[in-house]
Amino acid sequence: MEMIYDILDKLFQMTALSAIAENPLFIVMYLLAFTLLYLGIVKKYEPLLLVPIAFGVLIANFPGGGMGVLQANSDGLVPVMENGQTVMKNIYEMPLHQIAHDLGLMNYLYYALIKSGLLPPIIFMGVGALTDFGPMLRNLKLAIFGAAAQMGIFAVLMVSLLVGFTPQEAGSLGIIGGADGPTAIFTTIKLAPHLLGPIAIAAYSYMALVPVIIPLVVKLLCSEKELRINMKQMDKLYPDTLEIKNMRVLKIIFPIAVTTIVAIFVPTAVSLVGMLMFGNLVKEIGNDTNRLFDAASNGIMNAATIFLGLCVGATMTVDAFINFQTLGIVAGGFCAFALSIASGIFMVKIWNLFAKKKINPLIGATGLSAVPMASRVCNGISTKYDPKNHVLNYCMASNISGVIGSAVAAGVLISFLG
Amino acid sequence: MDNINIGLELMAVGMATVFLILIIVIQLGKLLISMVNKFAPEEAVAPKKTAAVAQPAATVDAGTMAVLAEAVKQITGGKGKISKVTKL
Repeated sequence: MEMIYDILDKLFQMTALSAIAENPLFIVMYLLAFTLLYLGIVKKYEPLLLVPIAFGVLIANFPGGGMGVLQANSDGLVPVMENGQTVMKNIYEMPLHQIAHDLGLMNYLYYALIKSGLLPPIIFMGVGALTDFGPMLRNLKLAIFGAAAQMGIFAVLMVSLLVGFTPQEAGSLGIIGGADGPTAIFTTIKLAPHLLGPIAIAAYSYMALVPVIIPLVVKLLCSEKELRINMKQMDKLYPDTLEIKNMRVLKIIFPIAVTTIVAIFVPTAVSLVGMLMFGNLVKEIGNDTNRLFDAASNGIMNAATIFLGLCVGATMTVDAFINFQTLGIVAGGFCAFALSIASGIFMVKIWNLFAKKKINPLIGATGLSAVPMASRVCNGISTKYDPKNHVLNYCMASNISGVIGSAVAAGVLISFLG
Repeated sequence: MDNINIGLELMAVGMATVFLILIIVIQLGKLLISMVNKFAPEEAVAPKKTAAVAQPAATVDAGTMAVLAEAVKQITGGKGKISKVTKL
């Protein structure tokens, strides 16, 4: 009888059950993973990212599985098992094959692909390959609202500092307001890697909730008269003097010129903006670089998304996720998002006070990035008030410039706080 | 207090940089548009014209069509039909 009990006890110790019984918070993580999977699969909230992230959360939280990412402390030390004893080792001095051997596959992927800062720029290349700068070039003036909408980043940074976050953590929290997943991840890796999981989740969740957040802020801040401003009529009344005679050549020169200029002024933003523009360039050249475009926008982008999602999810272990900071990030991230939308709208309102050619405030609301969903949502709002008032192309101008704006803001944060 | 100073400094520098860069991008865009208009205007129009010329060849008047249909009917014993007429 005692032998059977002994065998059962050993079996219990071998499975994850004993550790789960010891620390029931693991169950909270499973519930979180299931909820995120539900949102991704059934509700279709950014499934391409939410599904890998949620699955990463799930597999990272089985005790003994070794799939959770270990965050190094401020000295770069992580606990490593050696001869049955736990010793602290500097992970940045460990070769990658040793990380794989001692800490498992997920840590290898995380430190090789994420912590090195490799994947976010690669994804930016794919985003560039899928972006059309045409609407922005046709409505260049509207690009300025992509700058105004970055205000939420710095406002939330300020509030986070007052609440007690360190400047690096506050910077990472604020960048959620840039509404750009790869930018948020890239900045967090550089400034506060221990917050990567919750920040990525907050960034992507709020991006998925753009169809809810934008109408909410717009309803609070805009009158029906403002939302009825018809941009096409305004164009007819006050036509632009610049006519584009050769869009194809312009679209090829534009990414080269923007990269050069941004690189000179904000070198820390080059890894993001440069890759964005490279992806766009291989798309715009056309047939001659079609194979590169195909790789950037399909194969490489999809592979990068899988590894990014899984690794980001795997950073959300019980110890790293269930604490006060996570709540702060969820709340702060929402404020950053809402403030970014609001500051874009206010900039349009101020513009309209002085300019003859009035602008629909929805174009300010789309300055926060989240391309192209924000533009689609705003077009939906404008056509609700006037079915003939399509603002999509105008919104895309500020929407795309918002991507450049948030990458530049990230560059500033990294160079000051990194 | 130090943290508030850092926050204010970052807000001022950050927003100024973002505005500056996007203003530069806008001006750069305008410059590029005028340069492209001057040095490489309307390159993409040529292939459209050739495509447009090739199209209207397929019209045949009703009389000719009836003659052609009768000829095909005779030769194929009523089995053949005309689906398309193009000028070579």
